Amino acid sequence: MPSSAVTNRPEEVTARLGVGGGAAQGEALLKALREVKNQIIGNKTKKLLYLQLGAVPKIVSVLAASVASSLGGAGLEDAPVIVQAAAAIGSFACGVEDGVRAVLDAGAVPHLISILSHHDDKVVDAGARSLKMIFQSKMAPKYDVLQDKNLNFILSLLDSDNENVTELAACIIAHSCETNEEQKALCDAGVLQRLVSLLGGSSNQKDACLECIKAVVKDNSEVSSRFSCIGNGKALKALSDLIQDRYPYTRLLSCKCLIAIGHASPSYVEELQIKTKLVLVLAELLEEPGRVGDEAPFSLKKLIADNEELHKQALSINVIEKLCNFLHMSSIQSRRLQGILLALSELCSKLEKCRCQLLSPQVYSLNLEVRVLDLVIDSLEHDCAEVRAAACICIRNITRSLKDRLQNLSAGSLSNEAVVIRLVQLLYDPSSSIQLVALGALCNIIVICASRKSVLIRCGGVSQLVRLSTSMDSTLRLKSLSVLRNFLFLANTTDKECILKELSLHTLVSLLNDAEHSIQEQALALVNNLIDGCSSVEHIFTEKCYSLILDAVTRQLKQASSLGVCIQGMFVLSNIAAWSDFDKDSVTDYLIAYDDNHKPSLAIKFLQSNDKSLRLASLWCLLNLTNPSSAGSSRRVTKLQTAGIIFQLKSMLNDPCSDCKLRLRMVLEQCTEFETSQP
Amino acid sequence: MSKKVITREEWERKLKDVKIRKEDMNKLVMNFLVTEGYVDAAEKFRIESGTEPDVDLATITDRMAVKQALQSGNVEDAIEKVNDLNPTILDTNPQLYFHLQQQRLIELIRSGKVEEALEFAQEELAPRGEENQSFLEELEKTVALLAFEDVKNCPYGELLDTSQRLKTASELNAAILTSQSHDKDPKLPSLLKMLIWAQNQLDEKAAYPKINNLTTAAVDDPAV
Repeated sequence: MPSSAVTNRPEEVTARLGVGGGAAQGEALLKALREVKNQIIGNKTKKLLYLQLGAVPKIVSVLAASVASSLGGAGLEDAPVIVQAAAAIGSFACGVEDGVRAVLDAGAVPHLISILSHHDDKVVDAGARSLKMIFQSKMAPKYDVLQDKNLNFILSLLDSDNENVTELAACIIAHSCETNEEQKALCDAGVLQRLVSLLGGSSNQKDACLECIKAVVKDNSEVSSRFSCIGNGKALKALSDLIQDRYPYTRLLSCKCLIAIGHASPSYVEELQIKTKLVLVLAELLEEPGRVGDEAPFSLKKLIADNEELHKQALSINVIEKLCNFLHMSSIQSRRLQGILLALSELCSKLEKCRCQLLSPQVYSLNLEVRVLDLVIDSLEHDCAEVRAAACICIRNITRSLKDRLQNLSAGSLSNEAVVIRLVQLLYDPSSSIQLVALGALCNIIVICASRKSVLIRCGGVSQLVRLSTSMDSTLRLKSLSVLRNFLFLANTTDKECILKELSLHTLVSLLNDAEHSIQEQALALVNNLIDGCSSVEHIFTEKCYSLILDAVTRQLKQASSLGVCIQGMFVLSNIAAWSDFDKDSVTDYLIAYDDNHKPSLAIKFLQSNDKSLRLASLWCLLNLTNPSSAGSSRRVTKLQTAGIIFQLKSMLNDPCSDCKLRLRMVLEQCTEFETSQP
Repeated sequence: MSKKVITREEWERKLKDVKIRKEDMNKLVMNFLVTEGYVDAAEKFRIESGTEPDVDLATITDRMAVKQALQSGNVEDAIEKVNDLNPTILDTNPQLYFHLQQQRLIELIRSGKVEEALEFAQEELAPRGEENQSFLEELEKTVALLAFEDVKNCPYGELLDTSQRLKTASELNAAILTSQSHDKDPKLPSLLKMLIWAQNQLDEKAAYPKINNLTTAAVDDPAV
């Protein structure tokens, strides 16, 4: 056999790997393994190269052979080979999806598990580290903790003296524990107690245990409560102490744990005191570099979610300033930016004070007067989809303000147009979740301010909205319809005509007849806004249009698919009932008609409703129908009388709702006028 | 408002009242020796002072071997050693790994092996730049060294200083310490920082005997 210089080119090295055949043996094999390992650690390119060369199955076969021979007591020579093979396998599984797949496919896991009980610490370390790499990947199989055998194995790992092994156990549990059943099984087996005791170890062990605890208690009220009872509250105390740990990452993880427990079983972490502490700690962590500062705003948002008291706490310790300071940085990591925007959105979701702070101009470095809102608007164009979505949510929440605050948005005409244009751009985003949030923001913004409405038309926003209102996705239909409805609120005739033209009668009618009743309701509300302020049908519809729409409206009222639909429908009829005599007559006929003897008429049915808004809407309608200044009111009153409506009204004199009572009296007064003037 | 003046005598009297335990000082010294990796010194100090190090000196030996390899310019050896110590360190610290590869290139350039350096830059460093854009700037600087005849005096010549080796060695040392759950920073520098901060704070309120030279700890008379 010709002697050739041993080179370290990947192809050559790979050829020397394996069991039997042309593979190297003994010292040469060990050298080859070490060479692969040293070439691939940290080096993604090399990993991919060796993967393509089929190195992984060969290395796993070497591992398997060495493990078998080692178990057979063959000798100490196996240990170094096992260590190098295990290390190489672990490295392949680090950061490269194809690597994880190759390692799993080659069946490495069972062999690595078997060496965890080896007598040589170095071997155990190697096995534990590699397994940890594998189980940190999403692709790793779930370890079935519901099987007793497996559970016992995990517990034995947790009892080990070797920190690499205990960290591995924590990692496996965190990866594999998803369902409530699994969490309970782990809890029953005493895993939580063991994890708490391990919190006294080194900081890496602490961190692994904290992540694990969180995975076991998350979203499980029973397990969370049981955790809080461990050691009569000692476990909770241990966690609380760790939020002051010297390492920022440990502080963050313990905060996350406490937040998870607090959400799952409120009674134990309910005290405002601990929650306030958490707000303080997280506010400080916001300023840490790296992954701690990136994740801190997400945890903060989770902590204060829907809790106005905590929003106020956060406000009082200047959390908003801290968050806003980051928005000014020219290069901020996407993840952190997303977190900050979400945290700001949460703070603006309830408190007016927060929204004001973001709307008012603030002076920053370089004496530039900038509004935070403008920085958020800039983020609408960010490369990262999650950031765009978060910016939308932020704007949606900021604009929840009272209408007069919204007028302040006009200060700075640039952002006026910019925000509408950018939001409309997002309506074309490939992700429907971003479209939805953009719609939410537009919904708030479009209500007031004529200039914003004209921008919307000019930039093609109305066309896109109409297109979305015919989407297959019902949520998109609903939300885009809401924006159009809001657009039409107090709109002038030109704007109304514009919408009608784009929307088309056909689309409007099909929306009125939509399968989803929430969409029917919005469509009815849209019609209401269209006819509001008109004194006759010609102002807005052609006769053909009008009769088609009226048909649809009355059909929906008859079907009465939801309370909201009925209320909006009655508003439409009320509006029409303010028009001409002819219109009033048609409305009256609809109200008193009934199909057969068993079903009551619409009017009776609605007047008898438990919902005061529906009763009120019906009363308004009747009020308009029986208006004395209209010529035909007297004959309409007679019709109503015959249909038993007046009787029904009289029976409602003790209506619990004062508004209803008032309108009721007014209607009866108007009707009595006609009754008495009967010959 | 004029500042309060504290005379040297007053100051020294106050200082005398401050009690510091010898054991605490010894612990600080040991902590410094251990963190920076001075095994022999730590061992001698342990014998002389009876202070126990808070880590097993054997683990320091491994770490020291890595540091020494790097400081003598033997980067490949350092990488092999750290991979033997804990193979996950370089896999989970891309920036550190890049700096080590960068150091390898620098060593090749230093020893005049231009061809090898070019090949190495192409095969090993270029992929790092592809894998992670944030490395590109530093990568360009290092590769630029290849364009100059008189490397030592070119724009990025400082990369050839031993200080660069020390910088990388320090980064590596810190990563190893973190993987072992130890503090990567010795406590002594923090204390000195605190001293300087405290003096700056006091400067606003008083004139007093100040330490301006940290190495001699000589106290200068108060400026009046």
